[in-house]
Amino acid sequence: MGALDVDYMLGLVPVLLGYLPLTLQLASLGMVLALILACLFAVIRVLRIPVLNPFTIVFISFFRGTPLLVQLFLFYYGLPQLFSALTVIDGITATIMGLTMHFSAYMAESIRAAIVGVDRSQTEAALSIGMTNSQLMRRIILPQATRVALPTLMNYFIDMIKATSLAFTLGVTELMGATQKEASGSFLYFEAFIVAAVMYWIVVEMLSWLQGNLETRLNKAYSR
Amino acid sequence: MKTLLATTLLVLSLVATPLLAQDGKIRVGMSGQYFPFTFVEQDTLKGFEVDVMNAVAQEMGREVEYQTAAFSGLFGMLGAGRIDTVANQITITEERQKAYIFSEPYVYDGAQVVTKAGNTEIEGVEDLKGKTVAVNLGSNFEALLRNLPYADEIDIKTYDSNIERDTALGRVDAFVMDRVSASQIIKEKPLPLELAGPTFSQITNAYPFKDTEEGRALRDEVNAALSALREKGTLREISEEWFGTDITAP
Repeated sequence: MGALDVDYMLGLVPVLLGYLPLTLQLASLGMVLALILACLFAVIRVLRIPVLNPFTIVFISFFRGTPLLVQLFLFYYGLPQLFSALTVIDGITATIMGLTMHFSAYMAESIRAAIVGVDRSQTEAALSIGMTNSQLMRRIILPQATRVALPTLMNYFIDMIKATSLAFTLGVTELMGATQKEASGSFLYFEAFIVAAVMYWIVVEMLSWLQGNLETRLNKAYSR
Repeated sequence: MKTLLATTLLVLSLVATPLLAQDGKIRVGMSGQYFPFTFVEQDTLKGFEVDVMNAVAQEMGREVEYQTAAFSGLFGMLGAGRIDTVANQITITEERQKAYIFSEPYVYDGAQVVTKAGNTEIEGVEDLKGKTVAVNLGSNFEALLRNLPYADEIDIKTYDSNIERDTALGRVDAFVMDRVSASQIIKEKPLPLELAGPTFSQITNAYPFKDTEEGRALRDEVNAALSALREKGTLREISEEWFGTDITAP
């Protein structure tokens, strides 16, 4: 058991910090796209829109039923084998696509649950005073559903940030890839990975703080 | 299923941003995780493979674009046409020759068993019977072990990286890699490891290419560059710089 090489760790901090933006970029782009897709899926499922509903069910089933790594390999290495034009998709795009589809499948279910969770009597009350369907959605259902879905959606975002560590298998050097390469050059694994771990941790802590603030704001109207 | 595929493709084409180098660059894949052949120090890609490939590209009058990815992804990238070749101590094997064409060899080396320092139980490849042995996933050393007559008595564990550390930790009894890398790691890195016995198989490393018209043309170009560098003594110089010995000649 040797002492930790603190100098090495300090030297590594600026290097690894340089890869943090890419990690965050992958996750936040993935999150925005996944949210859009998930909302669409949730609405399709709630309203049972014909044709789209069965498609959505299959989509969700597939992307929840297979590991993210398998999906990433499928997009990046598998599909170009069938359609060589798909080689234009680079590793970063493939990663974002994989994250988007994988997490939208999970998030769609959370959002659907949150929408369905708003009591039916509220819909009836709103319609009885002459609100249109879109007014009902915007003013009654969505504000309440957002509040319910927020904690789980935040959980998925945190999970997504950590899932970007798979991108190195697609040749995308993000935070984890950079750490692995530094570690296998220096063989100082503990030092390298602890620096990376602290970085992920700080990012997630900041998000948790943000989530707390958001929740307080969204809950204001409902606190009693 | 058809709708699913069609929709997937649609989504793909929407998000895709073309990013392929087509301007005379040679795109080279490596793991960046195989000291001292390809590794990263303070964000800089270094190693024997980098120096040799830089020399080859310069000789060819082309720019190099390095793509680092986990070793298990490298052949996938080559197969998908995302890179032109792999510079990561790729050993010529029969199986790989079925799928790819190879340049002339530029490294001659041997497979080596490495154990934790002080391990007297393992003195060579025969002693691996009943032992747990680590190898890199998709590496030729995995195939070498599986081809041993007593392979079913060896517990072979495949890793994406970090086999040296797991051996030093005593989690596995030994690992197998090429002799020069192993010697270099033992000499320069703070891991309690030692070579166990002589090398047990000759390995020759070369650059793999896709067996297409462009692949063959590029292979010929690389071969010409390699022999020019051999004549000038550049290959020997690079090897001696990294290993103190010439591993580029048989």
